[in-house]
Amino acid sequence: MLLQGGAERLLAMAQPRQPAPLPQRLDRRRIYVLPTPFGLFVGALLAAMLLGALNYNNNPALLLALLLAGAAIASTLSAHLALSGLTLESLSAEPVPAGQPLRLRLTLSQRGHRSRPGLRVDHQACRGWVHVPAEGRVEAELHLPTEHRGWLDLQRIRVSTTQPLGLVRAWGWFWPEHPLLVYPQPELHGPGLPERGSDPLHSRLDPAGEELHQLRAYRSGDARRSIAWKHSARRDTLLVREYEKPVGIEVVLDWSDLPGLETERRIARLARWVDLAEQQGRRYSLRLPGQPPLGPALGPAHHHACLRALALLPHG
Amino acid sequence: MAEPTALLDAQARRWTLASAGLALLPLLLQLPTQLATVIAASALLTAVVSRRGLLPAPVRLLLVLAMLALIYLQLGARPGRDTGCALLAAMLAIKTSELRSLRDARSLLGFSLFAPFAAFLLDQGPLTTALGALAAVCALLALQRLAQAEGQASPAPVRQQMQGVGRLVLLGLPLALATFWLFPRLSEPLWGLPERAVGKPGLSDTLEPGQWLDLMADDAPAFRVQFQGPAPTAVQRYWRGPVMSRFDGRRWEIDRSRERAALPAVQPRPVQWRYTLDYEPTERRQLVALDLPNAAPPGTHLTADHSLLSDLPLASLSRWTLQSSPPMVYAAELSEPQRRQALQLPEGFNPRTQALARQWRGEVGNDDAALVERTLAWIRAEFTYSIDAPLPGRDTADDFLFKQKVGFCEHYSSAFVILMRNAGIPARVVTGFAGGIRNPIGDYWVVRRMDAHAWAEVWLPQRGWVRVDPTAAVAPERILDTLDDQLGAQGAAGDGGWSQTGQALDWLRRGWNDLVLSYDAKRQRTLLRPFGVDALDSGQLVAVLVLLVGGALGLMAWLLARGERERDPLLRAWHQLGRRYARLGLAREPYEPAQAWAERVHAQRPDPGLLALSARFVAARYAGARHDPASLRGDLRRHRPTSGAPS
Repeated sequence: MLLQGGAERLLAMAQPRQPAPLPQRLDRRRIYVLPTPFGLFVGALLAAMLLGALNYNNNPALLLALLLAGAAIASTLSAHLALSGLTLESLSAEPVPAGQPLRLRLTLSQRGHRSRPGLRVDHQACRGWVHVPAEGRVEAELHLPTEHRGWLDLQRIRVSTTQPLGLVRAWGWFWPEHPLLVYPQPELHGPGLPERGSDPLHSRLDPAGEELHQLRAYRSGDARRSIAWKHSARRDTLLVREYEKPVGIEVVLDWSDLPGLETERRIARLARWVDLAEQQGRRYSLRLPGQPPLGPALGPAHHHACLRALALLPHG
Repeated sequence: MAEPTALLDAQARRWTLASAGLALLPLLLQLPTQLATVIAASALLTAVVSRRGLLPAPVRLLLVLAMLALIYLQLGARPGRDTGCALLAAMLAIKTSELRSLRDARSLLGFSLFAPFAAFLLDQGPLTTALGALAAVCALLALQRLAQAEGQASPAPVRQQMQGVGRLVLLGLPLALATFWLFPRLSEPLWGLPERAVGKPGLSDTLEPGQWLDLMADDAPAFRVQFQGPAPTAVQRYWRGPVMSRFDGRRWEIDRSRERAALPAVQPRPVQWRYTLDYEPTERRQLVALDLPNAAPPGTHLTADHSLLSDLPLASLSRWTLQSSPPMVYAAELSEPQRRQALQLPEGFNPRTQALARQWRGEVGNDDAALVERTLAWIRAEFTYSIDAPLPGRDTADDFLFKQKVGFCEHYSSAFVILMRNAGIPARVVTGFAGGIRNPIGDYWVVRRMDAHAWAEVWLPQRGWVRVDPTAAVAPERILDTLDDQLGAQGAAGDGGWSQTGQALDWLRRGWNDLVLSYDAKRQRTLLRPFGVDALDSGQLVAVLVLLVGGALGLMAWLLARGERERDPLLRAWHQLGRRYARLGLAREPYEPAQAWAERVHAQRPDPGLLALSARFVAARYAGARHDPASLRGDLRRHRPTSGAPS
């Protein structure tokens, strides 16, 4: 327990101690090197060999042990240099609904003219591997688990390597000041879009609709099952059925329409509706308490704005 | 940590097995052939069989038991170094059966590094050393390959792998060498010396017919000598070893009572030979010196017969500085017990020799020297030299002198001494080496084990002990060159026998001996003698060691980091400038554009020079306006932060 506490205190002392803006560079004072368990084993082995060789004044054995020890020490420096100068240029992540893994992409670069294979990138329990080419940049990918909607604060990201011999592990930390957004998790099964205030006269073509709208000439790319074979047989050309679905042009997704549900379920339902409306290509607006209404609009930007607003609603 | 238990890919597995096999090789070469063959076969078999999957535990247990039984049968239950080495080899052979994960591979590699180490305990020759070094490098290669597997990096091509390991070894080399020469050695071992010496049996304490046949067929070096000043001529190159004066009818033995007795008076000739002798390891304490050594070097003593004995067994290569002079008069007085010992003969042996001696004594009267001459003349006339002489029967001298008339040094010296004693002349057998080959490359002499020789000493009034070599009377060339030279000398002239390559190899071997094998606490203390420090104490030694190790580490870091240096000189100058401000707590943040930084600095401590410089730098670097990069670089280097008083 005491040891663990000490280790944690030591970790807390390691650089960097707080998040900072990107780009971040690992300079040599921010790299730490410790032997791996295997390195300790080899160290003990070499110590035994040295002692034996000294005792018997057996010079070839001594030379062998020293040669190995020299190479091992060179490998610690080499491991240190495999990280020194590594730069975290940027990071990006597409927001995902809570519960799905967030794909965090980190761009690492270096100016050195030696490639750096086998770097391990850790963020808490997630792990990725990356090979940074000489004077180049490369993208590492981490799949962070998400649990809650809202901002996901990044912890320290550890970049480490056991190259070249596996005797020591060198590591350094990046701590980007770059919160990541996690959307609320939409309800899995719930009612369809609220059709309040929709105009039944308006309808729009929808292959999933039920009422036949019209027949039109075949255009390449039309689904084969939408071809009206009987009608086509009477004419010379292929005809395609077009269906329509009566929909209101605009959906209003209003927080206050969902009384009686607890907050998180309300958010989940609204998130589902936002997704549904976006899928169905209907303009929608989102009204949340204490915020100006969003929309009506359609498209990725609006979708993101709505989900972001939902994600950032106060927890409670 | 998930990776160490990760499964091993086929290539990494092959690397590991190859490296472990190579590590096992030098050790197997040192073990008894039968045992080594079985271990090698089971290692191969286990590796092949367990390629598909783990061997079941009972099978592995059975293997272990079989190996233990085999070692017990071969070496007995005596716990010792040989047994330990055999056990290690056997366990390594079986360990290949559990090679599934990265961790298994690493532990196999780690343990396999003990194999060359164990081999060095048994032998320190060049072959073992080369194989050991090769095994170490291969183990590093395999470790590197495993680390790549752990790092999920695609395996690099072999050439690149070798470069990587070569770089590490070369970088570690200065450190390893500095430590090797300066790490304080133990002058006394912490625990017991190994029970089996590295060396071969040396000159034995006894001499009996047929005993030397093995020795005479061994062309391994017994010792190497370098003369400071003149070297003795061929007839003077007699290396004195054990002196035997007790005879039981068949076997000559050393008279142990004379080991610590007082030395007889010697009146030397004016010639003096000074030389350094590198004595190959043997199981004994017996050393040799040119006839006659003037004094015993520290750590040795002379017996009353001027035979040189070391205080400790010569288990490892040792170096001795000696002086010898040929005697003018050696023991002018012979005490009565000594005289009796030098005339001692068992009753009832060699009647014909006895009769001949009496007959000659009657003919020459009191003249001992004439009797010696007469014997030599007889031998010269009627005897021949051969290493393939038949073993004599009960009366060794009779059989040799009157029936066989053919033999080599052990027959001649023994029969001659028996004849002399029968004639009333005090005589004894001296063994040692004769001859030697000069190595022209290193200007030193090699005396091989096959140069072992036995001759006689007779005591003559006024002159004392006089060396008489009856073998040289028959076949001087066999003694003064060496046996083997005559056999192979048809083509080679001069130094004979050994080809140029052999000479060069021996020279290398001697260099290795000199630099590495014979290096010990004693030589370490005198390491800095060329720089005027006569004897280093351990404190000074540690100080020099720390200094050099620090230097080696620095060199290592510098060599490694050199590759990381910024290559654009303009950027380098800019970074230097940045560091000057960083010392004042005004470091440029990595995300901060040059101009923004300069403005921030300027706002805190007015620095218009920096503003101008950063503008020029940005223009040169990003706008491609490279009017005069050299002057910009110079300005960047010269610029210093202002004193910083806000104006």
